[in-house]
Formats: sequence, structure tokens, C-alpha cells
Amino acid sequence: MDKCIACGVCAEKCPKKVDDPYNAGLAKRKAAYVEYAQAVPLKYSIDADNCIYLQKGKCGVCKKKCPVDAVDFDQTEKQLKLNVGSVILAPGFEAFNPNGLDNYQYASYPNVVTSVEFERLLSASGPTMGHVVRPSDKEEPKRIAWFQCVGSRDLNKCDNAYCSSVCCMYAIKEAVIAKEHAGDDLECSIFFMDMRTPGKEFERFYENAKKKSGVNFIRSRVHTINPVGDSGDLELRYVTESGELKTEVYDMVVLSVGLQTPPALVDLAGKLDIDLTPGKFCKTDTFTPVSTSREGIFVCGAFQGPKDIPQSVIDSSAAASAAAEVLSEARNTKTREVEIVPERNVAGERPKIGVFVCKCGINIAGVVDVPAVAEYAASLPYVDFVDENLFSCSQDNQDNMAKLIKEKGLNRIVVAACTPKTHEPLFQETLFNAGLNKYLFEMTNIRNQNSWVHKNSPELATQKAKDLVRMAVAKVALMEPLNEVKLTMNHTAMVIGGGISGLTAAKSLASQGFETHLIEREAGLGGQALSIFHTAKGDDVQQNLSKIIDSVTSDEKITVHLNTEITGVEGFVGNFVTTLSTDGKTEELEHGVAIVATGAAPLTPTEYSYGKDPRIMTSLELDKKMISDDPMLSQANSAVFIQCVGSREPERQYCSRVCCTHSIENALELKKLNPEMNVYILYRDIRTYGEKEYLYKQAREQGVIFIRYSIDNKPVVDVKDGNVTVTATDHVLGRPMELNADLVSLATAIIPYGDEKLANFFKVPMNEDGFFIEKHAKLGPTEFSTDGTFLCGMAHYPKPIDESIAQAKAASSRAVTLLSKTSIYSSGAIAEVETAKCSACGVCVSVCPYSAPSFTTEGRFAGKAEINPALCKGCGLCVASCRSGAIHLKGFDTDQIFSQIFELEEAI
Amino acid sequence: MSETEPKILSFLCSWCSYGAADLAGVSRMEYPPNIRVIRIPCTGRMSPKFILAGLRQGADAVWVSG
Repeated sequence: MDKCIACGVCAEKCPKKVDDPYNAGLAKRKAAYVEYAQAVPLKYSIDADNCIYLQKGKCGVCKKKCPVDAVDFDQTEKQLKLNVGSVILAPGFEAFNPNGLDNYQYASYPNVVTSVEFERLLSASGPTMGHVVRPSDKEEPKRIAWFQCVGSRDLNKCDNAYCSSVCCMYAIKEAVIAKEHAGDDLECSIFFMDMRTPGKEFERFYENAKKKSGVNFIRSRVHTINPVGDSGDLELRYVTESGELKTEVYDMVVLSVGLQTPPALVDLAGKLDIDLTPGKFCKTDTFTPVSTSREGIFVCGAFQGPKDIPQSVIDSSAAASAAAEVLSEARNTKTREVEIVPERNVAGERPKIGVFVCKCGINIAGVVDVPAVAEYAASLPYVDFVDENLFSCSQDNQDNMAKLIKEKGLNRIVVAACTPKTHEPLFQETLFNAGLNKYLFEMTNIRNQNSWVHKNSPELATQKAKDLVRMAVAKVALMEPLNEVKLTMNHTAMVIGGGISGLTAAKSLASQGFETHLIEREAGLGGQALSIFHTAKGDDVQQNLSKIIDSVTSDEKITVHLNTEITGVEGFVGNFVTTLSTDGKTEELEHGVAIVATGAAPLTPTEYSYGKDPRIMTSLELDKKMISDDPMLSQANSAVFIQCVGSREPERQYCSRVCCTHSIENALELKKLNPEMNVYILYRDIRTYGEKEYLYKQAREQGVIFIRYSIDNKPVVDVKDGNVTVTATDHVLGRPMELNADLVSLATAIIPYGDEKLANFFKVPMNEDGFFIEKHAKLGPTEFSTDGTFLCGMAHYPKPIDESIAQAKAASSRAVTLLSKTSIYSSGAIAEVETAKCSACGVCVSVCPYSAPSFTTEGRFAGKAEINPALCKGCGLCVASCRSGAIHLKGFDTDQIFSQIFELEEAI
Repeated sequence: MSETEPKILSFLCSWCSYGAADLAGVSRMEYPPNIRVIRIPCTGRMSPKFILAGLRQGADAVWVSG
């Protein structure tokens, strides 16, 4: 694999075509293949099951044609023994195979596809390059239907009783993108049971899909699909909400298939001796959400339970944290120091440019006339040396390059080869080894963006390569050595918020050996969890919470600051100074990182007669009664739960995520207290995602009555003559019904604190609902864009305890990536202010997404902007925005980019 | 460069579009060779001056993608 240069000759020459699993079988690939074009590392492999040589002993054309002798048919499976302290399982899931469902006829009707296949049809890298066509006749469909819960929430046709959590959102996304690709002529309908969009920004996406994109949402399960003659069209028969039988014709049907654990993983679980849940996911506990039943083995991703990308990413960091907590003593015991080569001072030297033109075997040389490009390069100004390489990236060439740089006294290097995206660091290391500053380098792309895409125009491709080399030479002549600033790292952490998330994050940091200060504005620890009775899995929250609090307060590495407000934050990653105010006394705390875990609070309802009668209470007030074992609970003959109180409203367009599960859990508790009690849950969609679905099923089995209402026909709660009545419309009969209630529980929305002061202190953003905005919704869910600041728990979005704990551990894990370093280095390619030109307008300060620029506070340049090299990501937004031309982006400075543009002239 | 083809100067964001152009290569797609790419760290780096300079240098079109 080390030898493979990903030229693709093996795949091109391989005679064996097979179905491409990456494209869900909609396209073909060869038996010598790369799994997908974005694969990292980009290396080809041989599919042994389909390789003619490996199956029949003849062929071997790939081995003959491979220019670097990377094909080795003799490789066999090897057993390795590794001595490790922790194991993390992240084996993923498989999509449910709908072949066995006779009512959907997936195997017989070509225009019935799975959502995975449809995903590939939508993709620019898919078999149709994103052009949506139906499989039978390659015509553009005009009407597409999505069927939800295929292989999920279903014990009739399959054994998956759980909700797969992700299908509602991906179906909406697919419908919206399909309409974007095909235009308004395309009609998209989603047939669903409950629309489950409980994630951050998901409800707004759902509303926009309905209102802006015009996607139809039909609450029904289609029972039959019939083909319409030979047309390929499909006739759907379903019953509407009002009980009417409907027949409609669609061009294409997408089955929103669920997630499940493949049989091989069930075997693996057996071998590892870890417990599984009834849905065959890895069994974990609410308070240890990434620990398997076996000590030292941790789990993340969809093997822990069906979940989406952000939650999987959170879990993965949490698992890393959990694995590291038990290994903290071993940290850095196996690291080695890099040998530092002294850097040659090139100041005052005229540019002496070396140009290395790569042939990449025949990948470049087969199209581009490399000797002509090399000869041309030699004619360019300041070029002292030119070399042609068969493979510039090979180890012997790296050594040779370093030798040539020293011998010829070169002080600027251009490599014309593949792409800097993958190979720039390699060549920069060669410069470093030759004692040259690694920024005196420019790479130009004559393979991926030239020979590979212009194979039928060799002359023009050669001309383009010459132009690109000329542009690179012009730029590199203006490059200067850049410094990577070394910054100290303070190893103390600060966690803001003493709820379950903050407590868990603090404990996790302390377990990994870091001094931690936990800041809480109230007089006690525990936060919202103090009001919660049981979790969805039935754990006693108070018992577990007091265990967590004890473990934090008894930890000598943790200092708890109660009744404490933050009144100021100075500094940046590794070097924060925060002013704390405790009962009027202030103190300064120096810390390297900060975790924001400020939580959220329940809404005080203004509807449903709340406050008019003690029998009408919020969910958490009901929990308090359960904690205190209030006799009114067992005495009640009827209880009514009302969902979405303040959530999913126009002014609060988000789902509070926990309320459906929590109300059902409480309904079951009431049934336990008094099985004769009439318990009603009035809901809009039941959102018991994942294996929480079992609770919903259990509640129905135990006689809890679920009545759906719509936002324009809400239930009415009245207090009359000492009685509390709830009037709702029965969604089956369509008639109003009056319920007498001895207890009304309102599932109130979860409201963030919207702490603007804190947001300003750490220069971190909040969304329109008041939740903090993470660095990246999918890939950076527990950190802010500003380095050294992290977030977890309900300050990010409403979530149940297990998810809060996972995110708290994740935040700690992300923080430890910094805390474990003795110092951190900035990049060299960052922005710098030329103070004399700065007009102190502040545009750079306001546009920077990373809070890198600020106003100098003292000295002769007070009031002018300065850029913190530790925070700058080198995007250049401030440079482009600066009206005075006072900011320079090193490595992409204005004169350097202009030099490339000016060299176009000859090209054009 | 061919006289009949428009001459295109493009500025591609290193994180996305430049990567996409690499991917087009890995996937062996073909497109006409009348384009010259300048890699920039982010489209936030784009200045209107770069576009004007490109046009003044004779580009028929300037494509900024990111």
C-alpha cells in the first residue's frame, strides 16, 4: 500500500467488471478499485472475491501494468497481537434490506429504490452525476414518494421494533435536494407515521421543506404498490387520516430503510463478551453512555444505537475520553521527539528557484510533454535548477531533493505534480529536512487538474502545465520564510455550569490529570437534573446525580466555585484569564481552555390554564411530586399529558427532544402507581427516537391513550366548578371529546439562557433560539470556532441525560487534545497587520469568525488592530475586507496572488 | 489556448472547490483545458481587484468558487 500512487492504471486495465457497492449496485467498478474517489488514503486495492487472478490463477494484468510494482498477489490475512489498555468499538451499521417485504416489491419493480440508492442518484459523484432519473427507463421522474419506517418500528414485517432515528431527516433532505436538482415540476411526497425531527435546526428544516420547497407530507402507511402496465409507473393504495381509501400513481418510490446491526457484529459482540440490547445494539447505561458491559471496552456510533452524524461524532469523542481516562498515566510514554534540522537563513539572497516536474509514471507524462515543461521552466526568471522525476513523491527522490537543495543552494522550490491537498506536507517536510523554511515552497497541480482531465488534448495540457509552472515560479519568488509562533499552554481547565454536563466534563478532565475549576452561578450543584425523577431507562436520577456530585467535590483536582459569576474574560487558547465574582469578591483565574455547559431551563407556560389550578403542572413539577412521593399521584383517577407546550411553535421553531420520552416514562410511572388510572397523552408527533420507541409501545400496551392534535386545533384546558377538563379533538372520529383530569402535565419547551454576556466574553455565536452555535453542525458539535473553547449539554441543544453526559465527555476529550500539549504552534500562513496603515476601523475585528483580530490596548499603537497568531486560521477574510490594505496574509499575500494573475497574460 | 474557447481564470477555495477539482481528476472526468486555477485559502480571501486584474489580463471570464 505504501507504494501505490493512486494512478488508477490497475483499475483502468482490469478486465473484470463488478457491481459497485459504494454506488449501491447502480454502477459498475473493476475488481481492482478504489472504494470511492474521496477515499483517504487514496490507495487502490484488489477485490479478492472477484479478481480473475486470485480466483482462477490467470490474468495479473494489473501487476504487469502497475508502474510502481505495488500489486502483490501473495498478501494473506495476518494475525496481529496488540497490547492495548482500552478498546473502542466503532463498527457501524448496515442498511435494512427490504427484499423480504412482499408489499413493496423492491426486488421486482425497478423504480422502487432504497434511500441509499436514491442518495447515490442525488450525488454529484454518483452513477448519474446527481441527475435524478428512474432506473427503469432513465427518464426524469415527475412524482416521487418516500415511505418511512421501512425496517423500523415494525414487528409485522421485520423484527426491528426500534426507530432508526435518522430516516425522517434524510427523507426530507432527499426530497428537498431532488426538487433543487429537478426544479418545481417534481412532486415529492413523504408518507410517514410520526415526523421525527428532534435534532438541532431539524424542525426548521422540516417547516421549510413544507412551506418553501413544497414537499408533501402524508400521514399514512402505504399498504400496496401495483405496477401500472409496462410503464414502470407505480400505483399506491393508502388510507388517509380521515379513513378515505386513495389510489395515486407515482413514477418512483424511495424506501426509507432503517439501520440495523449486521449479524457479523452480533458474533463479534459474543466474542468480546459484551451485552446487546433487544434491538441488537451495544448495551450501555444512561450514566456511562459509551461504556459496554465489559470494563475497558467502549463503543460509539450506530452500534450503540441508531443515530445521526453529530451524535456519532459526539459519542466518538466521548469514547476517546472514556478510553483515555483509564489510560492517563500512560500518556506520552511512547512518543518520540522529532529531530530538528537547523534552518538556513536565506535573507538577502536573490531567489534561487528549483523546479521539480513530476511524471507520475505515465500519469502526467502520458499526456503532458514533461521534458518540454522542464525545459520551459528552466527559461523562467530566477530558476536555477530544474529536474524531472519519475515519481517526485518517492522516498529516494525526497532524499535526492534534499541533497540537491543543499548542493545547489536553492532557496525557493516549485513542485509540479499532483495536488497540494495530499502532497504539500510531504514536500514541505523535505524542505525542512534540507534546512529550508517550509513556506519557501509552491506546488502546482499538473495531474489531478491537468493530465487526468485533459487526456485527449495533450498539446493544450502541456501548454496549461507550462502556464501553471510559470505562475507558480512567479509566486514562489515572492515567498518569504515564515515563523510558526510557539505559545505556552496553561494546563488548567475551566468548566462553566454545574449541571450534569459540567460536572461530567470536570470529572473527566480531572480523571485525565488536569486541574479543573467548575463555576456555578447557583448555591448548589446539579442543575436541572435535581428536578428529574427517572430516566427513560428507569434509573433513579437523584441517586446517580448525588454520586456524580460526590465524585466531583471529593476530587482534589477540581475546585468548585458556587454562587459565582463570570465578569470578564481576557486572553485566548492556552492563556485565558477569567475574572470570577463570588459573593462580591473577585478573583482572577488563569486557564488554558474553557468548556461552556450553562444548560437550559423549562419554559413557564402561558397557555392551558397553567397557574389557575394546582392540578395543572409542568413536567418537572410532576417529577418533583414523584420524587417526594406526593399522595395526589396515586389518588388521581385520570391524568392528561399535553406535549409541545411552547415547542414547535412559530416563535420557537425547535423540538425540545426529550419531552415525548419523558411524558411516556411518567405516564408509565403513573400506571405503575395506579393501574386503573386513565392516562392520556395529547401529542403532535411522538418522537421516541432510537430504542426509546419500546417505551411508546409499552405505554400503548398498558393502556395509555394517545390522542393526536394539530397546532391549529390545540387542546383546551378549563377549570370549571372545581374540575379540570381538557377538550381535544379525536383524530380518528374527528369529534371533540372532553376529558376530566385530576392531573394535567404540560411538556414545556426547554429554553436556553441566551447568555449574551458569556457569548461576548468568549466571542462565540448563538442561534436565533439562543442556543450556542458549534464549530460545525456535523463534524464539530462540541467545540466553538474560537480555539480553546468547547460546549456541551443543553447550552448546545435540549437533550436527555445520556446524550448530555456523552457530549460532556466529548468536550473534555476535545479540550485534552490541547491540554496534553506543553506548547502549541500557530501556522505560518496567517494574517498580520501593518500597523502604520491601519485606520482602526474595526472591520477585521467584526468579520473574523475565529476572533483573531482585536484592538491593541496599550503602547504607541493603542487602538489599532492586531491579529493573534494563535487564533488566526489564515482564511484571509480580514485581508479582503481591510479598506486600508493594512493586513497581509502570509503565503497568500496580495502581491503573491497578483503575480500569478499577471503571469496569465502569456497564457491568454 | 484555443481561439474559439473562452479563457477562464478561476479562484478556487482550497477546502472545497479545489478539492472538488482534484476529485474530478480522480474520477477521470474530462473538461476543456482553457481554465487556469489559482488556489486561495478561502473565498473570504477574494478581492474584487483580483477579478478586475484577471479581466484586464485578458481573461474572458473569472470564476470564483468556494
